[in-house]
Amino acid sequence: MISFTNVSKSYEGELILKDFTFTIDKGEVAYITGPSGAGKTTLLKLIYCAERPDRGQIVVAGWDINKLKQRTIPFLRRNVGIVFQDFRLLYNKTVFDNIALALRIHYVHPNAIREDVNAVLKEVKLSHKANTFPQQLSGGEQQRVVIGRAMVSKPTVLLADEPTGNLDVDTSQTIMNLFREINARGTTVLIATHNHDLFHGTGRRVFFLRDKNIEKEIIG
Amino acid sequence: MKIFRYAFQTVFKSLWREKWINLLTILSISIGLSLLTSFIMITLNMDSVLQRWAKNFGIVVYLDEDINKAEENTLKNRFLKDKDIIEVKYISKEKALKELHKTLGANALVLEGLDENPLPSSFELRLKSSLIEPGLVKNKAAQIERISGVDEVQYGEKWLSSLYAVSKTMKLGAIIIGGAIFIAITFITYSTIKIFFYRRKEEIETLKLLGATRSFIRLPFLLEGLIIGLLGGIMSSLVIFGIYSFTSLKMVEFLPSINLVMASLPFQVYLIVPLAGAVVSIVGSFIAVGKIRY
Ligand SMILES: Nc1ncnc2c1ncn2[C@@H]1O[C@H](COP(=O)(O)OP(=O)(O)OP(=O)(O)O)[C@@H](O)[C@H]1O
Ligand SMILES: [Mg+2]
Repeated sequence: MISFTNVSKSYEGELILKDFTFTIDKGEVAYITGPSGAGKTTLLKLIYCAERPDRGQIVVAGWDINKLKQRTIPFLRRNVGIVFQDFRLLYNKTVFDNIALALRIHYVHPNAIREDVNAVLKEVKLSHKANTFPQQLSGGEQQRVVIGRAMVSKPTVLLADEPTGNLDVDTSQTIMNLFREINARGTTVLIATHNHDLFHGTGRRVFFLRDKNIEKEIIG
Repeated sequence: MKIFRYAFQTVFKSLWREKWINLLTILSISIGLSLLTSFIMITLNMDSVLQRWAKNFGIVVYLDEDINKAEENTLKNRFLKDKDIIEVKYISKEKALKELHKTLGANALVLEGLDENPLPSSFELRLKSSLIEPGLVKNKAAQIERISGVDEVQYGEKWLSSLYAVSKTMKLGAIIIGGAIFIAITFITYSTIKIFFYRRKEEIETLKLLGATRSFIRLPFLLEGLIIGLLGGIMSSLVIFGIYSFTSLKMVEFLPSINLVMASLPFQVYLIVPLAGAVVSIVGSFIAVGKIRY
């Protein structure tokens, strides 16, 4: 579903990833971990084409990133749900509208949007906050809105960047359960985190990122 | 339709939220369009006056003293066949004298005592309008002058060239000023839409990351530009209608003959102006949004 072959990426001459190679299979849940600044977010950005590799091949859901034209990038992103580390919520729109946006850009019919968004709101346990604005939510609630937005379009791949960054243990567990459910419906899930508790005992593959490459790969 | 649904929602929200900027833009556009239209109308009116004058333009071909009837007829036929000439009028010696009498009126006494008619017979020719241009007329006149039996060709050479110069300057001025106003209107919408675009920059970045296509991102801005331009145009139509009705009423009151000069304002103008506003504004918005890169 996701494959990197000898990918190198640098910012302004500074190498972040070097000859990076890995593969995430269809239907997998996998984790990327590593110290702050190791390049986890960069790795995810390469997957959804917010950054381009200097060298190497990246294939996502059958799309070869290097051959992607500007105008086809949106169509790749439609297959990829993203939980951004910095949320990227629209603060002038309600919770409902923030989640609905992921469907509106696909021109989904309003009735279908209402149905799907309400279902997702139930799943992320925010039905009662549908008409509030993000500023009125706690960090954990905002986090769940972002997850709701990433899952509402039923993407083939879900990328989650530090999805439990500022959550307590209980809420983190709720969110991890959510990812498990999303995965059970066939979505491939890739989670970047430095919280080792998230993958302990999951039996899933974990990639340790350090010094521009994979330091080790373990089963969590 | 489904493509427009969300865009329209966004646009109406934006139109309301930014109502003062929008109103100002609409006003500026309507002022620009009104100026442009008045200017075009003035130019057209002046041009139609010039055209009317040009229509009366004729050249006079004086014939040789010793020409006979048959030769005159050959000449007449030759002129009638000439595609450049749309009207041929023959003026005999006698008629010329009679007309001179008429023009001189009381002073016609000076003609008494002439035992012979000193005036030559002549043809008055009117040329087709595409030929009424100093250089072309000059050529034609020279060409006619070379025909045997023709003594001399005369026409208002100075008058023609100044008429021509006036008309040419007017047209050039119309193009320059009209073009400048057009660009100004485009720029007005451009800057307004650019402001809106920058205000929503963060949102647009997020939309891009969520997988919005270029057209999804552009459409609200183009629609907003279109609506602003259309409203500006409609407002301008109303203004033009008001001004035109008022001035033509007043003008006729004071100067009844002005009616001849004022070309009527065709009703299509009231449709073309809003349309022009919309088109120009869309172009401005399109430039403002620019190329969207992912
Ligand atoms: N747009 C950018 N321009 C320049 N340097 C960048 C840019 N984005 C990231 N970097 C640098 O690349 C390195 C990796 O950044 P990245 O965000 O991928 O780390 P990370 O593993 O996600 O860290 P964290 O756990 O803190 O989120 C950092 O040193 C960062 O300073
Ligand atoms: Mg990061």
